Amino acid sequence: MSSASPATGIRRALSGVGAAGPGRPPRQTGSKRPSRGALTMLVLVAPSVILLVLINGYPLLYAASQSLHKGSLIITGDFVGVRNYTDVLTRPAFWNAARFTLVFTLVGVFGSWLVGMGLALLLRTRIPAGGIFKVLLMLPWVIPIVVSSTAWNWLVATPDSPIPRLARSLGFGELLFLADPTLAMITVCVFKVWVSFPFMMLMTSAALASVDQNVYEAADMDGATRWQTFTRVTLPMISRSTYISWILMTIFCVNDFPTIFLLTGGGPVDATSSLVILAYRTVFQDFQTGPGVAIAFIMTLALVVISTILFRQIRKGETA
Amino acid sequence: MTTLEGGGRRPVVTPAEDAGPAERPRLAARRQPGTRGQWGRFAAILVFTVIALIPIYVTLFLSVRPGTFSSSTSIFTLENFTTVFADTGVLTWLSNSLGVTLATVLISVVVAAPAGYVLSRARSRAVSGYSLLLFIVQSLPIITAIVPLFVLFAKLGLADNLIGIVIVYVGSTMSVATWMMAAYFDSIPRALEEAAWMDGCSVFGSFLRIVLRNSLPGVLSTAIFAFLLAWNDYLVALVFLKSSNVFTLPVGLQSFFQQNATDWGPVMAVSVVMLLPPAIVFAVLNRYFSVGGIGGSLAGR
Repeated sequence: MSSASPATGIRRALSGVGAAGPGRPPRQTGSKRPSRGALTMLVLVAPSVILLVLINGYPLLYAASQSLHKGSLIITGDFVGVRNYTDVLTRPAFWNAARFTLVFTLVGVFGSWLVGMGLALLLRTRIPAGGIFKVLLMLPWVIPIVVSSTAWNWLVATPDSPIPRLARSLGFGELLFLADPTLAMITVCVFKVWVSFPFMMLMTSAALASVDQNVYEAADMDGATRWQTFTRVTLPMISRSTYISWILMTIFCVNDFPTIFLLTGGGPVDATSSLVILAYRTVFQDFQTGPGVAIAFIMTLALVVISTILFRQIRKGETA
Repeated sequence: MTTLEGGGRRPVVTPAEDAGPAERPRLAARRQPGTRGQWGRFAAILVFTVIALIPIYVTLFLSVRPGTFSSSTSIFTLENFTTVFADTGVLTWLSNSLGVTLATVLISVVVAAPAGYVLSRARSRAVSGYSLLLFIVQSLPIITAIVPLFVLFAKLGLADNLIGIVIVYVGSTMSVATWMMAAYFDSIPRALEEAAWMDGCSVFGSFLRIVLRNSLPGVLSTAIFAFLLAWNDYLVALVFLKSSNVFTLPVGLQSFFQQNATDWGPVMAVSVVMLLPPAIVFAVLNRYFSVGGIGGSLAGR
């Protein structure tokens, strides 16, 4: 059974232990082997370290320096200290984007979690053609966003698209799904939930499969209702996996670019402009590299804070 | 379950399970929730699936309908496909996408597998520090890395170049790919290697001949992850690729959207070309499709 690799990675990182898998024989003390393999180990890990430094480390430092300078994409200008940051933080556009990012992330994480968990619960038991459903329901996650956003565009973009027409004939009046600011925000969030629920379904399914069936039997014997069983038994037993899936989905939502950009481009009038979209536009459309990168850094900081809080929750769960 | 099932991967051990008393196995009495209400659940799932997949039927349906400028009146036509392949750059974009994706998959696996081995086998402060670093890197938004890389690659002649985006993709797969390989290697008993060392095999030799040889499922799930990341990416391609002869399919498709009326037939035909490879890979290999794979694939976008 899969244990969700990022989860494994996170646990590794959390525990500070290389990879002490349960059931692995403890390393013999006094063995000569570690020194023997040390050089080989270094050689084996070297390509990945070099790539990491070049593709992730170098740009990070460069970007950090750019955020402290004036200048455009090509030329780095004068050193301005934290002025880019203070400048960005006083822009209304930044706070609008921050607010939308928050809404988008909350709806994205909990919306997809609720839908995904509901499906995982339904699919846990044997139903006809269950395997086929599991494959079909993964499609929104697997196919390129460019493809799904194209189809969504066709469905909702203009007043003559099928969904607005349907809404009209049902008496909802003229609904401009991508042109009305509030409705555009809702549409983008629904689209995000549509893209993400399969991931939550998969995470929850994996967690549910690891819950001991005997616990349910015990709850049954004690006369627990279905709802009680769910809230008092199932949810606590999958809590760690749930937190990990929330952390990952938070990262995905905050960093998400194509889902929003391809559906609305951040519009109408910036209503669906998230921090990533704002950073992208600031750098590549307004050519203000410093402020753009500053936005991305502020966003990263927020993300680290949120992840740390959720990590704490996991740790609490582990020590409890 | 559609997740990776190779070998003895660690199950997610929930705290409650850890603390729980050792129960006797009670197979006979195990509750089988399944027969009761089975059709109700089936109906619920069926309705949900039918509605949720509407965007996909729409894509398939419109791709075989005559386009705006078509003289055809038939219900079913492959005209859109012949048009896009004959008159647009789709064939070039398709081969660009395939080339970039395959290169990313190959390089990712070749670099991540040995690193994953080190993460799995060596235990030291440096190794766990590296693991933590991988996690931090994974949560950084790609937008922060893109600007500096764009500047650097422009100097090196790698902007607007397929090699350039392969490098970025490989870099973005690194964290998750390394973890995935490490998690799989954890399931391969050390005793096997120790026996080989006794027989005079080197560490590298045992990694290659014993660990890697038994890790096909782990390699496949890492490969699927890298495949999806590279094939589905939009942002990196959008920033780096400017000339239409180096476009990959996602940016190519966007060039179809015109200012005024979009001719949906050809657009949907390209969409179908684009969604088939991941759908097929997923349908065939879905048992290797681990949570980590899909998890990371979005993180990179």
